[in-house]
Amino acid sequence: MVHTILTTVTDSFKTAFGQSRIETSLWERVVFYAAVGLTLVVSLVPFYWMIVTSFMPESAIYSLPPSFVPQELTLKHYRAVFSPETFPFVTYFKNSFIIAVVTGGLSVIVSTFGAYSFARLNYPGRGLFSRGVLLVYMFSGILLVVPLFQIVVWLGLVDSLGSLVITYLVQTLPVSLYMLGNYFRSVPPEIEEAAMMDGYSRLEVIFRITLPLSAPAIVAVFIYTFMIAWNEYLFASIFLQSQANFTLPIGLDALSSGLHQVWGQIMAASLLTSIPIIVMFVYLEKYMVEGLTFGSVEG
Amino acid sequence: MSLANRAGLSLDGDYTIEQKEAVLGYLLIAPALLLVAGVIVYPVLYNIYLSFTEVPLSPSQAPVWVGLQHYQTLVSSSEFWAALKTTVIFTFFSDLLATIGGLGVAILFNRKFRGRRLVRGLMLLPYVAPLIAVAYVWQLLLDPLYGVVPFLLSDVLGLYSGNLDLLNNAKSALWTVIAFDAWRYFPFAFLMIIARLQAIPSDMYEAAKIDGAGRIAQFKDITLAELKYVLATVFLLRWIWNFNKFADIWLLTRKVNTLSLYAYQTAFANYKQGQAAAIAMVLFVALMGFVLVYVSWILEW
Repeated sequence: MVHTILTTVTDSFKTAFGQSRIETSLWERVVFYAAVGLTLVVSLVPFYWMIVTSFMPESAIYSLPPSFVPQELTLKHYRAVFSPETFPFVTYFKNSFIIAVVTGGLSVIVSTFGAYSFARLNYPGRGLFSRGVLLVYMFSGILLVVPLFQIVVWLGLVDSLGSLVITYLVQTLPVSLYMLGNYFRSVPPEIEEAAMMDGYSRLEVIFRITLPLSAPAIVAVFIYTFMIAWNEYLFASIFLQSQANFTLPIGLDALSSGLHQVWGQIMAASLLTSIPIIVMFVYLEKYMVEGLTFGSVEG
Repeated sequence: MSLANRAGLSLDGDYTIEQKEAVLGYLLIAPALLLVAGVIVYPVLYNIYLSFTEVPLSPSQAPVWVGLQHYQTLVSSSEFWAALKTTVIFTFFSDLLATIGGLGVAILFNRKFRGRRLVRGLMLLPYVAPLIAVAYVWQLLLDPLYGVVPFLLSDVLGLYSGNLDLLNNAKSALWTVIAFDAWRYFPFAFLMIIARLQAIPSDMYEAAKIDGAGRIAQFKDITLAELKYVLATVFLLRWIWNFNKFADIWLLTRKVNTLSLYAYQTAFANYKQGQAAAIAMVLFVALMGFVLVYVSWILEW
């Protein structure tokens, strides 16, 4: 039995070991699907637990042994999360949303112009600029956190959402430029040249031809920046000071360290924090996967 | 003549097309360059300066030059050396586990089966979901009293007894965080590896089979050889990110003191910003040194 399992496990890796035909033996299929199932369990159990806990009454959350399937469901934690006097979740959500949307929008504008410049226009210093911007990718948040804090204090911008928008925008700029630049290069230059023959100026060509053709890449850049801004903790934790300005990551962090044993509410809030990202991911998966493989500053 | 005219926004002017294109090129890249210069290049240079100064609490006072003092403090501090060691252990093992996990799952998924797209999408969730959400759910799962993981490890499997707090015990916290990080980032390794794996032509295996190569030989000489570059790149990228990792560790436990956390606490809990700037510099120089050695030896650039 054990021997059969072992041999079929190795066999399930056959494509890599050199056999491309799909095996049909029942055992092999069982073991293959078991491996896929195990991967899914490892990936998804925490999310299952998040959902289940957010609907469980306290008595079930703090019980031993843990109940893997809830006997009783409640919306109590969600009501608590949405009542502003106990849990300023809505404020945090709104702040995060504003920051993420504004960062994403600005990123699309700045990186579209910059990437077009790198991809299509010729001028001295272009190669240096584009390599230099990528090098900047190496500078991590922790290297910037002390000097940026000093600068923000000196400019009197502490506790402003704007200082976070600028920080996130610039931290994501190298990847956004790179993603869009690659995409612009894949648009055939003949299309643009033909339009210019017809009397369009370069800017008209960009707005009427290149940008509409590049919509998928622009969407990917927006989502990528949105996600980074939505998730960021380090800079938010030092730039923001008043609770009214907190974003979700630091707001939830402050709540959980202030309150004890409110796992139901924390899980409800965590789930609600995940939903915008997961919805975007489901709808735009094919654009995102490409961005994710190169993307994720400090991912 | 206005800038707009020079940029070719209007058609008049005595400039050649090349000149107009160049000016437009500079104008379009200018916002990005200014932002990067102001928010990255200048702060990095400023950080170098700050690392040689004592930064007063009041922003109206100027930093006081102290020379190499902060670096000397670091070299003679056992906490610093411990943090450096923790950083290297954390980075190496979380990177290695994520890369191996990604490789294993990529090999598993490198065939057609029903529901592959859906399964792949679901598998990416740990990487895509917001950090704060996954950090909390792992805190709950690892809770020493009510958590599922201690229940399974201790009560069901009997690996240890009593209420060991996996996240807040100095010995186990490092390995718990490594496991969390590997769980969160193996999908990234998977995405990078599967793309390359699917590009290996199947006739390479056919040819190898005709030459009498066994499975292990095929795996080693074709699969691994073809993946060598992408595996090395994944390892390097994850190394860079994990070496600097802050929030993932900080939100799970305060017991794993890597250089990032050490710098953060020095700056914002002890308010020694000059000292923290010096720690950040050491972190950066150590990372750069590793990257240069890695790139020249492993990637052979």
